[in-house]
Amino acid sequence: MSEMRNIAGVELNEAEGRLVECYRSLAHVLMGHRDDLAPFEERNALKALAALWQVMNGLDMDPGQIYDLGA
Amino acid sequence: MADGPYWNPAHETMPRDELEALQARKLRDLVQWADAQVPWQSKRLRDAGVTADQITTVDDLRRIPLMTREEWMQGQLEHPPFGPILAADQALAIRYHMTSGTTGKMPIRVLDSMKDWEWISEMWCYGLWGFGVRPQDVLFVAFGYATFIGFWGLHYAGEKMGCLVLPGGAMTTEQRVRTLVEMGATAVASTPTYALRMAQEAKALGIDLAASAVERVILSGEPAGSIPATKALIEEQWGAKAGDTAGMTELGTIMVFECAEQPGGTHIIEDHYIEEVLDPISGVPVGYGQMGERVVTSFGRGFIPVLRYRTRDLVVRIPGSTCPCGRTFDIYEGGIRGRVDDMKLVRGTNVYPRAVEAIVREHAEIDEFQIHLYTEEGIRDEIEVLVEIPDPAVDASALLAAIGKELAGAHEGLRFGVRQAEDGTLPRFELKAKRLLDERIVIGSEGELRGR
Repeated sequence: MSEMRNIAGVELNEAEGRLVECYRSLAHVLMGHRDDLAPFEERNALKALAALWQVMNGLDMDPGQIYDLGA
Repeated sequence: MADGPYWNPAHETMPRDELEALQARKLRDLVQWADAQVPWQSKRLRDAGVTADQITTVDDLRRIPLMTREEWMQGQLEHPPFGPILAADQALAIRYHMTSGTTGKMPIRVLDSMKDWEWISEMWCYGLWGFGVRPQDVLFVAFGYATFIGFWGLHYAGEKMGCLVLPGGAMTTEQRVRTLVEMGATAVASTPTYALRMAQEAKALGIDLAASAVERVILSGEPAGSIPATKALIEEQWGAKAGDTAGMTELGTIMVFECAEQPGGTHIIEDHYIEEVLDPISGVPVGYGQMGERVVTSFGRGFIPVLRYRTRDLVVRIPGSTCPCGRTFDIYEGGIRGRVDDMKLVRGTNVYPRAVEAIVREHAEIDEFQIHLYTEEGIRDEIEVLVEIPDPAVDASALLAAIGKELAGAHEGLRFGVRQAEDGTLPRFELKAKRLLDERIVIGSEGELRGR
């Protein structure tokens, strides 16, 4: 995994970086492939996104708002 | 690392200059969001000449106009039911809550999304973890679980942390006491008043709470959680550490918490809020150690952006470095000291209910009390304190005299009547206690008629 830094320039450790990747992956799926998801997939993914948003926020990764994704 | 004293170690121990830089970045984002999504906020910002790109330091906050509860309520009246404050489509909300309504005013109504609710519980995690609650704890929540937001966020924080959460809704006080003891609760959440009420009930049931598994009592909802005498009484009766927190429906969650070091105050969660302390009359910032009114800006709840909201809470801010816990988050010494509008003028002397409680609670013989203001001979303000003293072995006359003397001594010699009330006749409270009964017809020495 390539080096990842937060908005303040602090380097994330590998475990933190993987959580960031998870969040981005979830957001990507929900943004671009929503119609391919069954209700149980979509709603659980949204709940996971809402939880991982807290990680992004706590790591200063500037996650912005995600209301447009439904969370 | 996963079992250290901090929920977010990097933020909670962040040097102050870095913390302020973080706040400035979040403030800029918040202003941008409010400006883009909430026309009502956008107009206020633009009328004040504020745009997001002008926000470079925390000090730029002062250019943003203050927001009051009255404005919020007026907005609800004009644009029911929520007012012009929502930044996202109502269809995206998953929860509705409102203020407790204990003031008798119109309640403030709020909505939150899925992400906002995760954030609400996240703030409670700072408080629970910081006070020493851990995944192996059994957390009993003595709360009614209705539309008042109260301990809802704490409940979800307990779940998030992996605690076994025992919801204590729709139970009598006896049922709550029996359940938390039988289920081996190690932590209990309640208002300070209700913690004392449960202790009274346990005593009546012959249950020794101090011998129970409870190690921590998490307090919220009333300033009493940081009154030393009240807290000491709770700790003695529960045989547990008591930790204060404070929150607001307007924010959806807590903004301060007491850490396990119990520094005599509550840390501000400064990576999620900017808290200012202003002179309530002039609006000028006051320094460390000076009492003033809390004004809060919240970065967390995107559904309802809160910018410079006047809380009417009175606080005294001191540096976080005064606490040995290692957090850099500043502290409200003594927690929330009361409300700007709590103060009563009695024959020219300022009386704060919190100050009266601090004296009354020094006397463990007293179960319950009430402050009663009334008018004598049509013109003169009088103040009396009614107390219940259940133990017949107590010398009530001597106790009443002692309390009267202490109250007068703390209030420039103001004469307080102190009377014994019959056991069980004073009101008991589960949520926010209202122990002040103001029945005066005329207020103060100016002859100003009270509106009825």
